[in-house]
Formats: sequence, structure tokens, C-alpha cells
Amino acid sequence: MKILIADDSRVMRQIVVRTLRQAGFGDHDLVEAADGQEAFDKTTAEKPDLVISDWNMPGMTGIEVLRQLRAAGNDVKFGFVTSECTPEMKTAAEASGSAFFIVKPFTAERFDEVFAPILG
Amino acid sequence: MSVEVEVDENDLAEMVEQVWEAYLDPEGVSPLMQTYDENQPSEVHSSVSITGSWSGHIVYSSSRAAAQRAAAAFLAMELEEVSEEDISDTLGELANIVGGNVKAMLPPGAQLSLPQVVLAPESSARYPNTERISGVYGLWEGEPVSISMWQSSTDTKEEGA
Repeated sequence: MKILIADDSRVMRQIVVRTLRQAGFGDHDLVEAADGQEAFDKTTAEKPDLVISDWNMPGMTGIEVLRQLRAAGNDVKFGFVTSECTPEMKTAAEASGSAFFIVKPFTAERFDEVFAPILG
Repeated sequence: MSVEVEVDENDLAEMVEQVWEAYLDPEGVSPLMQTYDENQPSEVHSSVSITGSWSGHIVYSSSRAAAQRAAAAFLAMELEEVSEEDISDTLGELANIVGGNVKAMLPPGAQLSLPQVVLAPESSARYPNTERISGVYGLWEGEPVSISMWQSSTDTKEEGA
């Protein structure tokens, strides 16, 4: 499977990659995007099976990326890894078709719990 | 109307502990030892601003050695491999994580900014019309690390008016 990791923080992208490996998902094809626009463009161009996105990014936020993808008819499995987790954000994410919501700081166990059903 | 802030030292300490457990000290061998000294020195700092239902700043500050160690832990690198950019990115992410967790405890309608990083002491920063309302101050392997919360005084002024 191909997984796109979108986060404007380079260190957080590396932590997500490392945590995916620790949780046993290191064999998948990992692609990175450094902001919302790049996340949208790469999701469209590279057709990942899963998008793991930050919420708060410059230019286009994660939820805007998700909404634009859905508006364009793209049904990719998409969810958030973010330090912010308010009830209204979760509601907005779910309403837009988000599949999961992981709060930073996270552990490999949390990744396993969320991604095992998705990635097998 | 002033907003009652429901984030206190204990909440901040819990968030900090989670960051240490997840990223900075996953083995549980070098936790942040609290000193309760709000005036401890720093050499670098980062911050995020929150506006809306509560307005203010969350500031992460530390010695340069502690920031370098944090970057090494975040990036799974040796200390000597850590670059200036690694330190800067790590400090930004630390402020973002704590700030995001603080935001989640505030009343609905708060907005979190992107992080600002300054490779200079926290004392060089000025947050006009703010007061420090909470903080966690400690030593991490002997190096100072502080996380503090600064509230914009417009709220308190209105309260007194």
C-alpha cells in the first residue's frame, strides 16, 4: 500500500514514519507532503491508499485538503494526526469523511490500534 | 467577558509528561524533574499563539543542550549529528504539541497559530499585555526546560472594569 504523510513539520513527518515502522507498517510505500497544497496535489497524482495528515498547516489546512479531495470525487482513506483535538474538530473531520483522529503525542500502540484494521 | 481558564499547572505537567513518554524519554529513564523555578535561564525558545475563546501564548524554552537532546530524540539521531534546522524544527513541534493540547482544553472557538521559533533566550521575547498564568519548570538531565502559559490581559482588564 502507498501511504501519504502530510505535515508541515519535518520532524513530525519523521516521527510518523518511525512510529509506522515501530508499529509494524514500515514495509508500505511512504510518500511525504510538506503542506496542504502538496498533500492535495500528491494525493491526486500519486493515488495513495491512505493519507495521514496534520490539521494545522500553512496555506491549506488538513480539513481543507480533505474537503477538496472529496469535492473532486476522491474517496481516499484519510485521517488526522494532530496536537489539537476539540469536539468541533472531530465533528468536522467525521462530517467530511475522516477515517481516524490521532492526537499528538502518540505511541506505536495507538498507531497499531488505528492502522491495523486499515493496513492489515 | 473574561474566560475562566481551566488549564492549570497539573494539566500542563501532564501534557509535558506525555511528550516525554512518547518522544523524549520513551524508556522512562530521564523524566523532566520539576524545579518550580519560573526564573530558570533559557537559551532558545518557541511559542504558539492562541486566539478566540482564550487569548495568549504557550512558550517552550530550554537551554541549547536540552534542545539539541530533544532534536536527537525526535529524529532518532546522535547528538553530534543534530543540525541547527533540526533544533529549530523540534522546538517548533514541541510548542505546537503542547499548544494543541492546551487548545483542546479551552472553550470552543480557539484558534492555534503556527509555531514561532527563536534561537535566543525566552527573556529576549516580549509578549505585550500578557501575564504568565501557569508553567512547568524543570531540569532534564540537568538542563533547564520550561513550558509556560501567558494570558493576554484584555480578558483580565475587562474583568476588573
